[in-house]
Parts: sequence; C-alpha cells; structure tokens
Amino acid sequence: MTSSRWIGIGGIAAAALALAACAPGAGDATGSGEQETPTEVSTDLASLGEITLTVWDQEVRGGQDEQMTRLNEAFQDAYPNITIERNSQSFDDLETTLRGALTGNDAPDVVQANNSRSVMGAFVGAGLLRGLDDYADAYGWTDRYAPSVLAMSSYSDDGTTFGEGHVYGLPQTGEVVGVFYSTSALADAGLDLATVTGSWEDFTDSLATIKDSGATPLELGNLDGWPAVHVFGPIQGQFADPQEIATLAMGNAGGTWLTDANEEAAATLQGWVEDGYFNDGPNGTDYDAAWADFSKGSAAYLIAGSWLAADLEAAMGDDVGFFAPPAPAGRDLATTGATGLPFAITANSPHADAAAGYLDFITSPDAMTILAETGNMPVNDTAALAPATGVNKDVFAAFGEVTTTGHLLPYLDWATPTMADTIGAALQDLIGEQSTPGEFLDTLEADYAAFVG
Amino acid sequence: MIVSRPERVMNYVVLLVFAAFALAPILVILTTALAPSTTSPGGLATFASAWTQGRFGHYLSVSALVAVVVVTTATLCSILAGYALGTMTFRGSGIVFSLFLLGLMIPTEAIVVPLFYDLRGLGLTNTLWAVAFPQIAQSIAFGAYWMRAYFRAAPRALIEAATLDGASPRRVLWSILVPIGRPAVTTLVLLTFMWTWNEFLIPLVMSPNGAFRTAPLALALFKGQHVEATGLLAAGAVLVALPVVVLYLFLQRHFIRGMIEGAVRE
Amino acid sequence: MRHPRHLPYLYLAPGLVIFAAFVLYPLARSAQFSLYAWDGLGASTWVGLANYADLLADPVLRAAFGHAFVLIGFFSLVPLALGLALAAILTHGRVRGLGMFRTVVFLPQVIAMVVVAVAWRQIYAPDGTLNTALRAIGLDNLAIPWLGDYTWTLPAVGVVGTWVQLGLVTVLLMAGMAKLPKEMYEAARIDGAGPVREFFAMTAPNVRAEMAVALTLTIIAALKTFDLVYVTTGGGPGNSTTVPAYEVYTRAFREGAVGSAAAIAVTLAILIFGINLIVNKLVDRPAG
Repeated sequence: MTSSRWIGIGGIAAAALALAACAPGAGDATGSGEQETPTEVSTDLASLGEITLTVWDQEVRGGQDEQMTRLNEAFQDAYPNITIERNSQSFDDLETTLRGALTGNDAPDVVQANNSRSVMGAFVGAGLLRGLDDYADAYGWTDRYAPSVLAMSSYSDDGTTFGEGHVYGLPQTGEVVGVFYSTSALADAGLDLATVTGSWEDFTDSLATIKDSGATPLELGNLDGWPAVHVFGPIQGQFADPQEIATLAMGNAGGTWLTDANEEAAATLQGWVEDGYFNDGPNGTDYDAAWADFSKGSAAYLIAGSWLAADLEAAMGDDVGFFAPPAPAGRDLATTGATGLPFAITANSPHADAAAGYLDFITSPDAMTILAETGNMPVNDTAALAPATGVNKDVFAAFGEVTTTGHLLPYLDWATPTMADTIGAALQDLIGEQSTPGEFLDTLEADYAAFVG
Repeated sequence: MIVSRPERVMNYVVLLVFAAFALAPILVILTTALAPSTTSPGGLATFASAWTQGRFGHYLSVSALVAVVVVTTATLCSILAGYALGTMTFRGSGIVFSLFLLGLMIPTEAIVVPLFYDLRGLGLTNTLWAVAFPQIAQSIAFGAYWMRAYFRAAPRALIEAATLDGASPRRVLWSILVPIGRPAVTTLVLLTFMWTWNEFLIPLVMSPNGAFRTAPLALALFKGQHVEATGLLAAGAVLVALPVVVLYLFLQRHFIRGMIEGAVRE
Repeated sequence: MRHPRHLPYLYLAPGLVIFAAFVLYPLARSAQFSLYAWDGLGASTWVGLANYADLLADPVLRAAFGHAFVLIGFFSLVPLALGLALAAILTHGRVRGLGMFRTVVFLPQVIAMVVVAVAWRQIYAPDGTLNTALRAIGLDNLAIPWLGDYTWTLPAVGVVGTWVQLGLVTVLLMAGMAKLPKEMYEAARIDGAGPVREFFAMTAPNVRAEMAVALTLTIIAALKTFDLVYVTTGGGPGNSTTVPAYEVYTRAFREGAVGSAAAIAVTLAILIFGINLIVNKLVDRPAG
C-alpha cells in the first residue's frame, strides 16, 4: 500500500475525532444520587395487580439454590399476582454483569449487590439503588436486624461514608470465615480438636505438627486471587485492632495499612508458605478444585467461608468440622465475616412496593427457618436455628460466638472500587514470595490512600 | 526430486511430532468429556447433561441466531460494497476502500468501551442488535475488501458483453457475477460464521444480563456455576467447538484459502 | 462499467453506514473517552492527557504491555521459525499424507479461543494432564502449578498461542513456497547442497512476503489476546500475566475507570496500526 494512502487513513481517523458527540456520561439516565422524596409506600402486596418481579441473585451453590427456589415458590403461592423472574449467576459473573445491567434500560427490580464500595458503594453514589429507610419503618426491619448487620449495608447518600446513613440492602445469611478441619487427618497427626483450638499459638503449632507428620496442613486454591483474602483476614484479626481493620476494610478515612501488626500478619502468612504448610502451588490451584481436594483428604485444614459447609458435609459426612480461629491469649475472638450479599432494590424499579415485600418475605423468621433447613446460616435467630449435629452446628456456634463476644471483621476487598483486584494480586505476590510483607502493605496502602484522598 | 532415505524418515518424524502437538489438547478435551467421573456419567450421557444442566442447548441456539443475522446481513452488504468498489469508478472510492482497510486493523478492544456505553444510552444493550451489529460492521470491513478483490478479478469481457446486451448493473451482479463467484462468497460466509460463532468479547460486554449470552460465553461462565464439573465443562467445550470444526473438516479449502488470501496484502 | 453517477454510492451505502456507525464512530468516541475521567455511572470530568500519562506511570499497565510483547515472541516468532522448517519439509520433502497433515495443523485456528483456553486450563492444572505425564516419566520436580507460577505462567499462556498460530503460519508459508520453481531446487541438489543450505539460500529469501503477512497476523493476535487470559489466569498470579486487552475490560466494566480503559484501547489500536505500517514498509509489494 502506498504511503499516501496510509497518511490518508491517518487523516480520516483524526477528522473522525472532531465529529465525536457529547462528553461521556452526559444524557445517561442515571439517578441524581439523592434520596428521592419518599412517596407513600404500600405493604399490601395483593392489591398491586399483576406484576413480574425480576430478581438477580448469585445463590447458585446447592443449598443456596434450594432455599431461593423454595422461598420464590412460597412467595408466588402467597401472592399469585406477582411472578418472580429469577436470573441466577455465580458471584464473579454477577460482579461483572451488574454494573452494565443496572444502568441499562431493563434493569432488574431486585439485585444481590455486594456490600463493597466497588458495587453497592458505586451504585449508591450513582443513585442506582433505592434507599430502604421508609420500608424499614413500614415493615419493622430495624427490630428484625441487629444494628451492626444493617450497618454493613448502609451508606451515606453520596456513597462516600460506608457503615452509616441509609440502609440499602437486606442480607439473608450470615457468613463467617474460619477453619474447616478433617477429624481423621488431625488424628493421623496425633491431634484432636481440643489441642488445636486452645489458642492461636496452639493452632499455629498444630500446623508444624501436621507438616512433621508428613501431611499437608493447609489447602488453598488461589488461582483467582480473592480466596487468599479469606486466609489473610483471619490472621490479621489475631494481630491488628478490630476497629482499625474495620476502617481499612470499609474504605473510610483515618486508617493506615502501615502498622507493625499488619506487617506481622503478612509475615505470618508468608511464613506459612515458606514452611511448606500449603498444598503445592496454591496460586495455580482453582478454588473449587481446592475444596474438592480437601474433601478427599488432601490436607488437614481449609481456611474458608461458611458457605462451603453444605458442600463439604455432603462430601465428607461427619469427618468435617469447623472452628473460628482461636484468639491469642488476652485477645477477643476475631475473624473475617459478614452477612451474605444483601438484596437491594434498583432506583428505577417501577415495582418498589412489590420488591420491598419480596425482601421482607425472604428475610422473615419463616425464611430464616427455611435457610437453616437447606444448610445455610440465617443471619437472624442463628443460635435458635442451629442444627443438632454436623458441621453446621459448629458454623452456627462460631458465628454466634464471634458476633456476640468477639469481632466480625468486614471483608478487606470492600475498601475501594479497585481493592478487590489490588489485594487479590498483592496476596498472590505475597504467597508467591514475589514481595516482602512490607511491599505488600505498601501496595495496599497506595490503593487505600488514593481512594480516601 | 531426489530426497535421501534418512532425510525422508526424519521428515516423517518431524511431521508426526507436530501433528501430535496439534492434536493433543483436542484429545485431552475429548477424553475428559467422555470419561466417567464423580460429576459426570461419561460417554454421550455427559453431553446430554451438559446440554440440559449447562443449558448449552439454549446458548447454542442463541449463538445460531446471532450467527445467522450477522452472516446474512454482512454478506449482503459486503457483496454490494465490493461490487461498487471493484467494478465502478467514482469519486472517493480510494478513501472508502482505505477506511475498510482501517477497519480490518481495528481491534475489538478499541471500540467496545464506547460501543457499550453509547448503546446503553440508547437502551439497546441486552438486545440482539447490540450483539450483532458491531460484529456485522467488523465483518463488512473484511467482506468488502474480499469481494472487491473478487470483482476486480472477474472477467471484464463478460461484464462488457452483458452491458452491451442491455443488462443493468443489478442484473450483471446477481445473474452473472454472483453465480460465478460462488466460491468467493462461500469462503466469506464460512469465515464470517466462524468469527461470529467464536467471538467472546462483544457478547460478553453487550449483554450483561445474559439475555443474549452465546455459547462461548456460557462456557467461560460455566466454571463458577457447577463446582468441579470438569467432565461437563469439557463436554460443553466440545459442543461449542463442534459446528465450526465440522464445517472446517468438510470445507477446509475455503477456510484455509480465505484466511491466507484474506490477509491484508496490498 | 458504465453506470449512473450516483449508483456506486447506493451500492456502498448499507455496508458503509453500518461500518461507520459501529466501527469508525466508536473509534472516535474511544479517543474522546480517553480524555475524560469517568466511572461509567455518573458525570465525567475532562482530564486531557492524564489517562495517557498514567499509562506510562502505572507499573501494572507498563507490565501489561511488556507481557504483550513477550506473547508476540510466542505467538509470532516461535511459530514463524517452526513454520518455516515445517513448510520447507512439506513442500520439498516428498512425504505422503500432506493434505492430512495440513488439515490437522490448521485445526487449532478454527476452534474458539474459549474452548482452547478450557482445554489448556485442564492441561496445566496442578493435577492436570501435563503434570500427570511429567510424573509418569519421573520428572516430578518439573510438575509445577503452571497457571500459578511467576516464572512459567506467562510462557505457559504463550505456548497456547504458539499452538494456535503454528498452523496458520505453516500453511501461509507453504502457499508461498509452492510458487517457487522446482528446477531451482533440482539444480541445487545436483550441486550437492544439503537441505539446510538449500533452505537458507533459496527458500527463506523467496517467501519474504508471506513471512511479513504471517508476522502481521500473529502479532495482531498476540496484542489482542483477551479471552485466553480471561479464562486461564485472570491476569494472575499477581499481575504477571495481565495484558492490555484484559486491562481494558476490567477497567471499563469492573472497576469503573472508563477513561483509563479507553486510553489503553486507543494505545493498542495505534500500536497495531503502527506495526502494520512498519511491516508494509519493510516488504514493498505492488500497490493493490
């Protein structure tokens, strides 16, 4: 091709630039970010006429899917005039697709939006979610939920402050991150539950004991980066101040990552790698493959969230148990955990009344019973609904204990819109021994500081 | 030509090694799909359960719908544009042709961001149009270039004779040139089909709610949904690849010719 | 052909309008977006070239472009070297089953990249096909987690690219070599030239044009890599396998940094355009 033709193409490309229309974001039909003057809300669902309610959730794993299916059927039986159109995707896919869907023309009415700043925070700031205060008054949700739980899905109107302001979502379940263990694997190393849960030191000593016996102490599948957040979080909880962790995790101003306690936590995690406590190549192992391997006896411990309990019990029966990481002497119990993803109502939904009724229905005391029956951990009435046996008995107990006498620490990746990717990659670097604990903290501090300004 | 015996043996060894390298991953996925495991029954039953559990039946039909829309629209527009560029003289033809060439080089990544946000502003995301039109546009860039080359090479005498007989340009195109140019059109159709069927980024971005989720996307998103279902995933992968592979095996000349001659050679 | 003056424009219109609306206009909008800071949800702010400055300053992005260049080695240079040897053998080696081999070696080109990625993810898994094979022949210490290793994951992704591109390059070069006169080779053989000398003295210089096309196509493919990384590594471990196209996607649709994503996209387009220009300049062919 001749040079003149190339130059011609370049010229055309440049000319096309001059044609570009209005600035991005102008004329988009997004809300103003202000809480609109609440119109009269109605709680009489039967009088709303024929409605189709579109609900997006990520309750795809066995027991989660079952509870959602049952509750949706029960809701439609109770209100024949309302049809639930359910769209269910995995957690990762929902994170990816929600942003586009919410701003689109046919946004769903109800969405499960992660509490994090990158999801709920960004949506609140853009005025895409409806504040639920008026419905909370009408339905009495403030009595149903503990204030600390509602705080986890509360934001100021402009989305800048996390943890106070208006309620934007209602969770169904509680989540606690802790240690799944295999009774038989502990026994093989000459250990039992009592000897490893006395204190944090007992637990870390048990890792060495298991390693010396020729077995693998810890299973981790960190190919996607985020699973390690659930390992680092509980470790950090044993060293750092819970209040400081909450500030960092919620991306509110006034915290810093650069503390000795945080460095100790990072060094501990890296030390576990250096001591060979993990399976081979956690960074190359798939999350689902890791827990499947653990259920087949690949390691003694799996530090992970309570949401795996049902699947692990199905695979391991009564060999699997669970405990919250024991605290060092003189400290309170502390571990990562929160509520399940809160259900929120989109700002442009024409069916806000029906949507709020649906939220009320799936978080009611009856719903909590169904959640417990299907192996999920209800966020309310947890202790009363605990099963008599099995791993969920341990899980419910741990959640109850941490929420009443200890500290439930928010997920660290909630902090900023980019923190999930930042901390995921930084933890892979730390585990892959590509960075020192100090460098790891610098990376997190840079992300956090850039956000809080 | 004389080729010594050891040299020929060596040649066969090299060919076998590379053939094995090309086939190995395909065999891995096939055996994984067919072997029974804890999560899949094995054999054809695995395909059946991928079809229902992974809803691959649904996603494949979405893929087929998108492919049909893209292929027919793009082929038609390409024939028309190529005809004008290849047989007619008019002011600005050089510039138009250069623009199409530019389009051949623009990566999807370079246009997908504003495409999504602008189409969202128009309320068109999650529709067939948002998934199809960007791909139609990209296929036209190649198609116009490809058909122009064919029309330029078409026998002038034939066109002139037909024109002297009083045939209109339209008649010349549809009654003479397109029938003779069937191989060129077939190649274009096959390549457009393959690109559309295998496209990942555009359907991923343009249909966030999954209303127009095509088969390759379903495959990537299948992973998180069904835990440790390697067999099902492999079966799904085979199902996604199958239509294009079957076409390729029957019509490989077209595929190879198109991809080689279609490379920008100005 | 004689025709009314307006006629060509009528024939051009449908294709050109669609093409302009869905390729050219978005390209211009990309350039425009790249001058703003925008989260994709609310209002945007004009920031001039700040997004491009960040591009140079951000180590993750610099690394992403670096990885793209490493991938060029695997997608372009390795297939070119192997493809030259293979095509030479196929063209002059007097072997049977050529058609069969061509079919097989070109097959990876037509398989959706997502399917390819799923297959290789399984090959590279800690207990996957590759490690099982390595352990079977006693090379246990080579059985590493291929997708979670800071040294080997990028090459592992690169090998997938080599696998995909090898057939295209080989078949392209075969087409070029088929045009060379047989007599030339006969003469060389009689003079006692071996296959190696024959290759460097005659074959390689005569397929320069095909080599250029092969390089152009595979380099563009390397720079555009997205689905492969999305499915196999998600840019990990750390950021060791992230590539520009993957950054465009995550920034624009997950992290709400639309301006920055557009700046990367524009840079990528300019890079591809530039490479085309250079390759076209190097290999001057009669204008078409």
